[in-house]
This record gives sequence, structure tokens and C-alpha cells, in this order.
Amino acid sequence: MQALAEAAGKFIFFIGLIVLQIAAVLTWVERKQSAVMQDRIGANRATIFGMRMLGMFHMLADMLKLFTKEFFIPMGARKFIYLLAPMISLLFALVGFAAIPFGDVLIIGGREIPLQIANIDIGILYIFAVLGMAVYGVVLGAWASNNNYALLGGLRASAQMLSYEVAIGISLVGVIMVYQTVDLMEIARAQGQLLWGWLPQWGILWQPLGFLIFMAAGIAETKRIPFDAPEGESEIVGYFIEYSGMGFGMYFLTDFLETILIASLTVTFFLGGFQVPYLYADGFHFPWGQVVLLPNIVVAVLQFLSFLIKLILLLFIMMAIRWTLPRFRYDQIMHLGWKILLPASLINILITAVVLTLIG
Amino acid sequence: MPTITIDGKELTVDEGKTVIQAAEEAGIYIPRYCYHPGLRIVGQCRICLVEIEKMPKLQVACYTRVQDGMVVHVNSEKAKRARQQVLEFLLVNHPIDCPVCDQAGECYLQEYYMQFGLYDPKMIEDKNKKHKAVPVGPHVMLDSERCILCTRCVRFCDEISKTSELGVFNRGDRSELLPYPGKTLDNPYSANVVDICPVGALTERDFRFKVRVWYLDETKSVCPGCATGCNIEIHTSKARPYKNEGRRIARLKPRYNPEVNDYWICDYGRYGFLFVDDDSRIQQPLVQKDGQFNEVEWDNALYMIHGVLNQALENGKSVRILGSPQMSNEDLYALKRFGNEVLEIHDIPVTVKPLEKPYSDDFLIREDKNPNTRGAALLGFDTDHAATEKLLADCRNGGVHSLIIFHHDLFKGFAAEDVRSALDKVETVIFVGSNMQPTAELATYILPACTWAEKDGTFTNHAGRVQKFDAAVDPLENSLPEWKILRRLAKQFGHAFAYFEAEDVFRDMAKKVPAFAGMSYRALGDRGMVINENGRPSQQAEVKEELTVVSK
Amino acid sequence: MNVHDKYKPLTWWDKTYIPLVIDGLSVTLRHFFRNIRLHILNVLGIKTKERGAVTYQYPEEMRPLWPRTRTLHRLMRREDGSPRCVACMMCETACPARCIYIVAEERPDVQIEKQPKIFNIDLGKCVFCGYCVEACPEDAIRMDTGIIDIASYTRNGMLLTKEQLLNIQPKVENYVARPDLVEGQPIY
Ligand code: SF4
Ligand code: SF4
Ligand code: SF4
Ligand code: SF4
Repeated sequence: MQALAEAAGKFIFFIGLIVLQIAAVLTWVERKQSAVMQDRIGANRATIFGMRMLGMFHMLADMLKLFTKEFFIPMGARKFIYLLAPMISLLFALVGFAAIPFGDVLIIGGREIPLQIANIDIGILYIFAVLGMAVYGVVLGAWASNNNYALLGGLRASAQMLSYEVAIGISLVGVIMVYQTVDLMEIARAQGQLLWGWLPQWGILWQPLGFLIFMAAGIAETKRIPFDAPEGESEIVGYFIEYSGMGFGMYFLTDFLETILIASLTVTFFLGGFQVPYLYADGFHFPWGQVVLLPNIVVAVLQFLSFLIKLILLLFIMMAIRWTLPRFRYDQIMHLGWKILLPASLINILITAVVLTLIG
Repeated sequence: MPTITIDGKELTVDEGKTVIQAAEEAGIYIPRYCYHPGLRIVGQCRICLVEIEKMPKLQVACYTRVQDGMVVHVNSEKAKRARQQVLEFLLVNHPIDCPVCDQAGECYLQEYYMQFGLYDPKMIEDKNKKHKAVPVGPHVMLDSERCILCTRCVRFCDEISKTSELGVFNRGDRSELLPYPGKTLDNPYSANVVDICPVGALTERDFRFKVRVWYLDETKSVCPGCATGCNIEIHTSKARPYKNEGRRIARLKPRYNPEVNDYWICDYGRYGFLFVDDDSRIQQPLVQKDGQFNEVEWDNALYMIHGVLNQALENGKSVRILGSPQMSNEDLYALKRFGNEVLEIHDIPVTVKPLEKPYSDDFLIREDKNPNTRGAALLGFDTDHAATEKLLADCRNGGVHSLIIFHHDLFKGFAAEDVRSALDKVETVIFVGSNMQPTAELATYILPACTWAEKDGTFTNHAGRVQKFDAAVDPLENSLPEWKILRRLAKQFGHAFAYFEAEDVFRDMAKKVPAFAGMSYRALGDRGMVINENGRPSQQAEVKEELTVVSK
Repeated sequence: MNVHDKYKPLTWWDKTYIPLVIDGLSVTLRHFFRNIRLHILNVLGIKTKERGAVTYQYPEEMRPLWPRTRTLHRLMRREDGSPRCVACMMCETACPARCIYIVAEERPDVQIEKQPKIFNIDLGKCVFCGYCVEACPEDAIRMDTGIIDIASYTRNGMLLTKEQLLNIQPKVENYVARPDLVEGQPIY
């Protein structure tokens, strides 16, 4: 009972208050950031009582619009699957967050609460499973729409997602080899250790190549520019062409959730997760010997903030990439996935193995 | 036969020709204003100056007779410069109204100025003011400021129409072209002066300000106004239908045919196209019911007509046809086949003698106002007016059950009571024609035929010359050429007339009717062919390419 | 720079995309940080020479026009108020969009002779090429009104008649000698 309440609390806090809010804000950030990057002002038309709030109300307006718009079901569509597909997409984007550790432990009334919704000790495999399921929402939606263009978009999406899952998986093998575990919490904790007494051992230090491969494949997994051949909002139409109203809204949200998920995973695997350099369970232990003791609650908050800040920075960079690069051609996507990322991740394993053996 | 050299080309020409005519034979165009091949030569405008070796001064090409060994330079520097100067003098008092001038686009002043104008005028004097926008006759508007005093129009009125309405008055730069006091330019050929006027001094009143000439499309045709069959060009304004009050045909112009009309047409013919875009046009098959005309689809109308005629034939009642010499050879041939093969009628009258004797003269205008009476006679129709009278008499006796009338307005040829009493006795009157008129209103069924401007075909003129005309515009709404109507009606009776184009009908006719043997649309060409009496086609008149203004 | 240099083959290092991605990011991020700084200064009310955005906030803010910008047509009048146009149809002929419709009529003044009875311009078709202005021998049609906000709910609303074209009030104030020096006013 208590464990259930605990999980529910963590769920509401992390997914309800953090992830979904970030997703909502991302829709605004996407517009505004691109505008600033392109010497524009960006969305600023929606007002409430004359207040523009930098166009923030567009989030509300969009939401209202998506909720009130007709959810159109095309003629000849598989109605049940058509309705189900966006939900599948959304579901698997959300459950992925269950394995993400966003802090170490919080002690409330003597009870140790690990700041991770589900403490799964095969976390990486769980993540692979969840990412692997994401393709179903897309393909089912595309197929159920009874639209050739949607189907073609779905085919492109499934080919792309499956190809890049391979690279994602293999690029993480290096991480597993370094930290000797598949538990995300353990991986995050292991990144708190210091090398030579002062250098935090974040994953990016041991796995720079793995980081790049994971980032690239991760962006491809989110189907965002430069890997947006499946959707191509502006020109080629994608798998959700028939969806309107909240059906489209769910796909739209999934898009942003997946971005956050990939960013969270990158933070967890390569950027030290929730780790703040030199912060331990009882406070700061600086390499020059100074010690600042802190209560557990402060440590937990600092760790969570650290996670959040890393996440937001990464999201910023992913947005910047999205507004910088042009779209890859479909053959280029396949080329990159199979001929570059896959061999590179295999080489990464090799190098890791050699280095690990040498170091012992 | 003197041999001369023009611009390096050596040629032998007939004695008595002038240099301008010889040059034309050599394919060299010499600019001209006053010279017109259809008029006497006066050498008035001096624009045709050419250099002739061994002559001290430049000579006018239009008036200088060729002599053996003459060497002419049309485009030498000296000659070109002289023409440039002449043009400059012609423009001294010219208002250069081109934006408001209807001639703009087909004006020889513009044309030549583009070619060899000075482009840097030296004249700064005030221009003389003369009369502007004077209606000199029912069809012609005069702007004497624009006149370059070439006297083409004066000579036309003197020599061709022989009415002498126009003259040049005053002297020097005040010379002005005007009608003689108390005279108006109202002879039956008056509008020809508009065609020959090389500038915008004489313009058409009907065409005035309607369409700019460069918007017009041209189609070769034949005038349907009388049995002469003058060759014409139909100028249509199709691209900009909001102009010209919605009329598709903007104007008619004569087309040169030395065998028929030379360069001229009469005013009746020139303005005889107005019925084409008239409000009275029938646009849809109509069926009369209780004095009301209701529009029906073609198929329905033909189905109903077939029903009526078929029943009449089965019950042994009489069905009669009144054809029309307004119809083309193709239409008449289809009608003949329809009568003979489908309804088994062999005597089809075509002519109606008008109540009043129409105007005619010994130049172009003929008394017979139908373009194809000769063709109808050749095709075996009864062109005697008495046949029509007999037909009406039969009607009046109750001997006719159904009557198909083509085009004719009987009220123009018979007293109103006669027509009414005759047609009242006829059970079903079917009218095929292009415009609504009193006879049509007595019909039960009305089928819309298109006008001559809307179809391809041929007319045979009084002299037996078969001449081709082309469709200038599309058939109005749902109207059809008569041969198509007859083809579709014959189909209802189970007869297939395998014609898809008017040319198919003509080809068939040329095979079956001896008078047309050996003719084809291609062989007819622009000038037509004379029907042959002895079974062999006459030789086609040699077509001389019209010389266009050659730019140098 | 030689054009061919632009297309020199990618090196192995380039083919990893990493330097190119960094290249691109450096450009966009440079703009981002520069603009965000200017925007913040702007919001704080500190004047800067540069603007954070090159856009104008239409319709609150009218875009200043270069002196030769072609804007809505107007028909000119003579001193006596009658149209300058003599319905010569040169503009109608020159118009590549065929959006000018002129029907001529007789003008009472015989010295001028001709005037337009109908003179319609269908702005829905007009491509604002200005050929009509070039073609006019009478300086009767101009495109200097400074009006660019032309919109209508119906197609017919885009059709301006002779009376409308003669009575257009030009907004010359929209023309500025150097629009590039006029600063936009961002709305956040
Ligand atoms: S006559 Fe010719 S040159 Fe003279 S105003 Fe007319 S078009 Fe122009
Ligand atoms: S009105 Fe025309 S045809 Fe007659 S003299 Fe003048 S220019 Fe020649
Ligand atoms: S601006 Fe160009 S398109 Fe528009 S009316 Fe003038 S000529 Fe026609
Ligand atoms: S070009 Fe000028 S004068 Fe001619 S119709 Fe057009 S506006 Fe009128």
C-alpha cells in the first residue's frame, strides 16, 4: 500500500508535474527559439486581456483548439485501431520515463525513497522494449488511416525507427561494459565516482563515441529534423496525415515526449544523470578537502535540479539542431543508420573492450 | 517586254507596268500611300521614291513606267533618306492621336515610321487644326487632321462607286479632305474608303472604339449577303469578350479575289453580320406548348420530331420540306439525302421571292440575296419560286401533315393572311434556323442552326464559283450546323450519315454530284473553283501571295 | 572565393557530419544569443543600434516602402476632373495577367475623343508588375498610392471599378526615402 502510494507520488511528480509540463512548454520553445534563431519575433498573436506573455498563450490556444476540433475518422479506416494508435504512441512515450532516475534517494520519516518511479534492475532492456514498442503506434495509425500517403509515411517511419534502434542498442553496450550493470539507477550512481580524485566519471568521458551515436540515433528515433522523413510536416505528408483534433494532439505530444525521453536517457547515460560534481549523500566533498555537509532533502533537491538543468540544456541543443540542419533524404537516413552508425557503434564496443582490458 | 534590274534582281515584265508593280512581281515591297492597285495612279504622296540609274533625281516608283535596261535601287541610302524625309513632312501637321485612333495597329504611318522614321523629329511648329470626328456618312467617320491627302478615297468615289462625294479643299498645308457641300458619303460601297485609307482619317462608325485591332483574329470567309459571294475576312474578338458589347464578330473586311470582288465589298454585306450575335438567336431546341416555347435537350427534341414524322409517314400522311438557299452546299446536300433517303421526298422547293424587289446594281450587289441559290439548283432542289407557292397552296388545302422549314421567313415573301392560313392547316411545323422571326413563332418545334460564321462550308455563287468559308467562332450555345442536325435526325430514323466534319459531306458530294466532281476543300483554296459543265474541274485561279510589308 | 571551392569533395572527417553540424549550430546559435541579448535590452528599455528581429509587426506596424515600390493602382484626373485615360488599351494589352478590362466610349470633347466607359482592374489577378504604368502614353495610371493592404472576402471585392480607381486616396506617408533605416517595433 505504502509502496503504491510512493510510486503514485513519484509518478504524479515526475511525469505529471515535470515531463508533461516540459512537453507543453517545448511546443512554445520550439516556436520562440526558432524565431530568435531566425531573426524573427515568433508567435505573439494570442492575448488574454491584452497580455501577450511572449506568446505563451499559444500553448493554451493550441490545447483548446486540439480539444475542441472534430476528431475526424476517414472513410474506410479501421476505426478501433485508428483510435487506439495515437494512444499506443503516447503510452509508450510516457512509460519510458518510469525507469529514469531523477535523484538518488530521499529520506522521508526514515523511509528511503529512491527517486525513480520504478526501480527496475534491467532498466536498459526496459528502455529498449519501450522504444521498440513506439513504432507500433506509428505503423498502426498509418495503416488504419486507409490513406496511401499515411501508409507510405508509416513505412518510412518504421524502417527508420527499426534501423536506428539497432544503433541505439549497440551504442549502449559500451555503457553497460563500463559500468557493469543494466540498472539505470546504478549507472547514474556510478557516474558520481571520481577519476584521479577530481574528475567526475560521467559516461561521456568513457564513451564519447557512444554519446555521439546515441544522440544521433536518438534524434532519429524521435523522427525530428533532420530525420523527419516520416512526417515532413512542411512538404511530404506523414503517417498522421488523417488525424485531426486530439488524435493529432496525441501524436504531437508524443513527439515532444520522445524528445524529452531521449534527452533524459542521454543525461542518465552520458551526462552523469542526477549527479552534481562532488556532491555525495551527506554533502559536498571537494577535491581540495573542503567538506560542506547538507541535509538529505537539500541533496535530493540539488540532485533533481542538476538533472533538470542538464535535461533542459540538452533539449535546447536538440532544438537548435532541429532548426539548423536540413532534412536528410531517405537513402541518406538509411546510409547513416546502417553504414555509419552501426559500424561505429561496433567499433565503439571494440575500443571500449580494449581500453577496459588495458586498464584492467 | 523590257528587262529591268531592281535591287540586283533581274526580271522581265510586261510593257506598260510601273516600277512599283514590277518590284511587287520581284517580291520587293516599296512603301506606298496613294498607290492602290485597284485605283488610278496619281503619284501624290511621294513615299515610293526610288533611285533609278542615269536619272538625275529620285523617281516615284508608282508612276514611272519600266523601260528596258532600267536599274532601280529601292533601298539605296539616298532613296531611304528621301522616304524618311517625306514621312517627316507628312507628319508635320499630323496629330499623332494613336492612343485614340482606331487605325493604330494597322496604320501605314506607324508601320513605316517603325521601319524608317527619323525618330528625332525636327519639326516644332504648331500643328494646323482641322475637323475632327465628322460623321461623313452612315458608316464612315472622318478626322481630317489625320488625313495625309493621298486621295485614295477621292479616287474610289470617282472611279469605283462613281458617286464623287469626297474632295480635297483649300491649298497648301490647309488642304483638307471633306465631302462636297451638301453631300454625304452614303453610296452602297462607302465603307470601302475605310479599308483603303492608309491612315486613321477615315474610320468605321460601327467599329469605332469597340476593339483595338490587335485583339482581332482573322478568318477567311465568304459574304452570305447576296449571290455574288464576295470574299471577306471575318475579324473576331474572342479573347476579350467584354468588349464590343459582347459581339464576337467585330467587323468584316473584303478579301482580294480578282475573280469575284477585287478589293471591295458592299455596305450591306459588310454590316450584314449583326444577326450572328443578335439577341434573337435561337440557342436551344424549343417546343411550343400552349403558345409557350419551352427549352428541351437536343436528344429529346429529335426524339419527339422523329415520333411525329414517323407516325405521319406510317399513316401515309404527307411530310414536306422547304429548304433554303441560305444553306451551304454541305447542308443542302445533307438535306437532299435526308429528303430522298429518309422521308422519300423528291421535290424540295428552296426559294421565296421577296415582296419588294431588293436593290441591285451592275457592280457587286445582285438581286438574289441568297448566297447559294446556284448550289441548290445544282443539287437538284427546285429553285423556282412557283414551287414554294404550290407548297403553300398544298398546305392551305390541308394536304400537308408536317412541314419542315429551313431559315425562311415566309412573311417576307407572302401576304400575312396567306402564310397564316397555310400554316394553320399544317399539323406540325418544324422550323430550323438561326434567329427567331415571325414564321418561327408559328412552329411547334424549333431547332437552332448556327450561322455561316460558326461553321465550315462552301457556297456556289451566281457564276458557279464554289467558294469555301471557315468557322470564325464557335456555334452559339447549343446551335448546330444544319448537316449535323440532319445527321442526328436521320439517325433517329435508323439512317447513318457517316459525316463528322463538313469536309466529309463535301467529299461525298464531290463524288456523287457531277458538278462538284474533282473538288475538295484543299483544291478550292482561297479563290474557289468554278463548277464544271463538262465533268472536269476548272483550273483554279493562280493564287498570288499578298505582299506584306517587308521590314528592312 | 572560387565557385568550385564550394563544391570540393567532403573529407573523411567532414563525412562524419560532426564538423558540419557544429558549423551550422555555430551560425544559428550566434544569431540566437545575439538576438536574445538585443531582445532583453529592448524589453528593459535600453536603446540599441541593432534590432533583434528583421520582421515588421504588421498590421500594428506598417512596413515602410521604398520610393519605387509598386502599390495599388490609381487613375489620374485632368485639371477639370475628368479621367486622363483615353481608353487606348495599351495597359490592357501590356498586362500579362489580363486583369485590366476596358470598354471605351465617345468623349464629348472632340479634341480628346475617347474615354473609358468601363475601366476595371481585377486585383485578384494582378501580379503588380507595373507594365500598365509603363505602357500608358497619358500618365493616366499610376501605382504610387502606398496602399498595399488589399484584401476582400469576395472575388468581386477585388475588382476595382473606374470610379474607385479615380477616387483612391493615396497614402504617400507609407513611402520613406530609406526604409532600411526605419526600425521595426517588436511586440512581444
Ligand atoms: S493615323 Fe496612324 S499615326 Fe495617325 S493617329 Fe492614327 S494610328 Fe496614329
Ligand atoms: S482620308 Fe485617307 S484615303 Fe482619303 S485622302 Fe486622306 S489619307 Fe487618303
Ligand atoms: S501591375 Fe501588371 S498585372 Fe497588374 S494591372 Fe498592371 S500590368 Fe496588369
Ligand atoms: S494605357 Fe493609360 S490611357 Fe491607355 S487605357 Fe490604360 S490608363 Fe488609359
